[in-house]
Amino acid sequence: MSCYRRCVLLPTRPSADLALPAGARRAAPHSTAILAALTATALGAGLAQAQDAGQERDKPAPPASGQAALLKKLEQMEQRVRLLESRLKEKDAGELARAHAQAAVAAPPPADARPARDQPAKGQKDAEKKDAKQSNDRKEAGGAAKPDWAVLATRDITGKTAPTNPPNSIIGLTSSPVTGLSIGAYGEMMFGAMQNPAAGGQWQNGADIRRMVLLPTYAITDNIIFNAEIEWEHGGGAFDPDDKLHGEIDIEQLWIDFKIMDQFNWRAPGIDLIPIGYINEHHEPTAFYSVLRPELYNGLIPSTWMAPATSIYGRIAEGLYYTIQASSSLEDFGSDFSLRTDANTVPPFPTGYAPGIDGHNGLGFARPPIGDFRQLNNDIAVAGELSYSPPALPGFNGSVSAYFTPNTTPRGAYADNGTPLGRSSLTMFDAEFRYRLPNTGFEARGEYVLVDFGNPANLRANNDSDPTNNVGKTMYGYSGELAYHLPLGNILSSDWELVPFYRYTFQNAQTGGFAGTDLNMPTGAGQTQFHNVGIAVFPSPQLVLKATWQKVINRDPAGANSDSVLGGVGFFF
Amino acid sequence: MTSWVRLTLPAALAASISSPSYAVQYLTIDAAKKLAFPSASRFVENGGLTWKAQAGDRLLGLFVVDHVIGKHLYIDYAVALDTSGRVMRVDILQYRESYGGEVREPGWLAQFVGKTSSSPLKVGSDIRNISGATLSSLHITEGVKRILATYGSHSR
Repeated sequence: MSCYRRCVLLPTRPSADLALPAGARRAAPHSTAILAALTATALGAGLAQAQDAGQERDKPAPPASGQAALLKKLEQMEQRVRLLESRLKEKDAGELARAHAQAAVAAPPPADARPARDQPAKGQKDAEKKDAKQSNDRKEAGGAAKPDWAVLATRDITGKTAPTNPPNSIIGLTSSPVTGLSIGAYGEMMFGAMQNPAAGGQWQNGADIRRMVLLPTYAITDNIIFNAEIEWEHGGGAFDPDDKLHGEIDIEQLWIDFKIMDQFNWRAPGIDLIPIGYINEHHEPTAFYSVLRPELYNGLIPSTWMAPATSIYGRIAEGLYYTIQASSSLEDFGSDFSLRTDANTVPPFPTGYAPGIDGHNGLGFARPPIGDFRQLNNDIAVAGELSYSPPALPGFNGSVSAYFTPNTTPRGAYADNGTPLGRSSLTMFDAEFRYRLPNTGFEARGEYVLVDFGNPANLRANNDSDPTNNVGKTMYGYSGELAYHLPLGNILSSDWELVPFYRYTFQNAQTGGFAGTDLNMPTGAGQTQFHNVGIAVFPSPQLVLKATWQKVINRDPAGANSDSVLGGVGFFF
Repeated sequence: MTSWVRLTLPAALAASISSPSYAVQYLTIDAAKKLAFPSASRFVENGGLTWKAQAGDRLLGLFVVDHVIGKHLYIDYAVALDTSGRVMRVDILQYRESYGGEVREPGWLAQFVGKTSSSPLKVGSDIRNISGATLSSLHITEGVKRILATYGSHSR
């Protein structure tokens, strides 16, 4: 019989066999002898087999029978595992010793803690608790204790995850259900007393839910970003007399960004803001301190100035960023939308129409339409901006920007005497800065805007039978603002800030250089000075409570009659 | 009037050809680790998204990866702390937003070097604000402050 398997198991056999004869002897006497013989044989055989097995162990491994090889391999694996285990134990012990030495050097623990560390694994948790208590005691003793991870190298702080910002990305209130989607919002509400120039300057109380804007943003991929702004102005629009709504609902922005590299990114054609000045692009109520938007952005820069546009933008050098944009041109047509004909022209002579560019409103009525292919000329405007935060002057941010359109004159334009009006280009230049003196609350802002008309004789305002709204060769304006940031401390679990400010603005929308068919008798209403004094309180950087007194002075003999004392509430999530 | 446009565009293109830096993913975690601890031989996982930087068995510091919201989209950034719990370096790993990228400027990030858990870390006081990136600069400052509160030294 083959003994390979049984050889291993045999050592127990002889003793078992030895037990047999004793039991067997209790059996019938005549069979005892047979049993004894059998036992002796078995014993002998067993001993012989045992001897064989012993000899087998001393011999080298016999050549491969499948089971033999398998067995051998198993044995070798077992030995190897035992070896690795012992090495690992040594290594751990070594590390432990070194770590203890380090910890001992860094912060010597009290003597009674040391023996706890040397205890085997089940004692370690208690030891760690003791360590924690001791390190806390050390901290309370007032010394500068090292951070946990640098002192107690063996301490397991797995499970203490890196802190993350709670992503309240749905209107700042709750988390987004869809990865990459966020919906922001901004809005402003104003109320107070204003002089109504149409009522002879009478002071009237009122309120205005000025705007509410939703900002859906979605990261389609990490490099392709969708962004939109949906706006309700003055409460929205309605036509029932009981609704009393006379606002608008519009898409203020809608674009997709392809982020390619630092120096070059592409914004696909959409509705985008024209990159002139600072406030046109950053027009949320938390970006400026007065209740009403800075004055240069009402007429000279027709904020919120958006148009169908596409652009490229990027970073040229440290602190230096550029944008170059092509957009639908401004149009010199300021009448009601319904008056433009289906042929996309101004209403035919002799109906007449209002100018988009004039000496009282600047360019306020000149923005192009963004819907339904209703633009009134084929012209494409180009704009560029360079914004700079010089590394050598920390706290300073500035930009220069320019806009050029080859023509603002709409199709079919005419003077009130029937003469057709030809092309007129428009160029705009803006330079502005915002300087926050580092480590102080002091802030200064300044801006200069210049608009130049290629051919004032072809502007509707100079040809519309109104002698008071004429336009010269240029329009320009400048403003300077001083503000101070005063921390109010922690109130209602937030750090509040108070910003008193003063801003002076001068604007001249009726300069010399008039040309056209009108009589030229400007009243002086085109030269305006604005004084703004007020405070802005920021309960958080995303909320602002404002109060502003504005004084308006122009050269009109009747006076500007546009003073106001207003309060405002704004937010930006 | 368009002459300046003609000058700017080739300059921008030339700059982009000479040293392209791909938008959004500016640094991988591994690249940021090497920048923060050039002499480290290994980084040992320490739980969450933190690694201990070690040169052999000598501890150099802690490397923490976190993310905050800019205006609407996440900014991934990394903070390196030395063994006394001070900030050694802050890097922006991924910046997805279309606006506010000025927080990536090295001059702005350098303000965090040396900050400890007892630094005020307040935008407008010891950290400059960036006009066009108000929310990004605020959130990153808050993020670094949180990291220091968790992993910084506990000095009073």
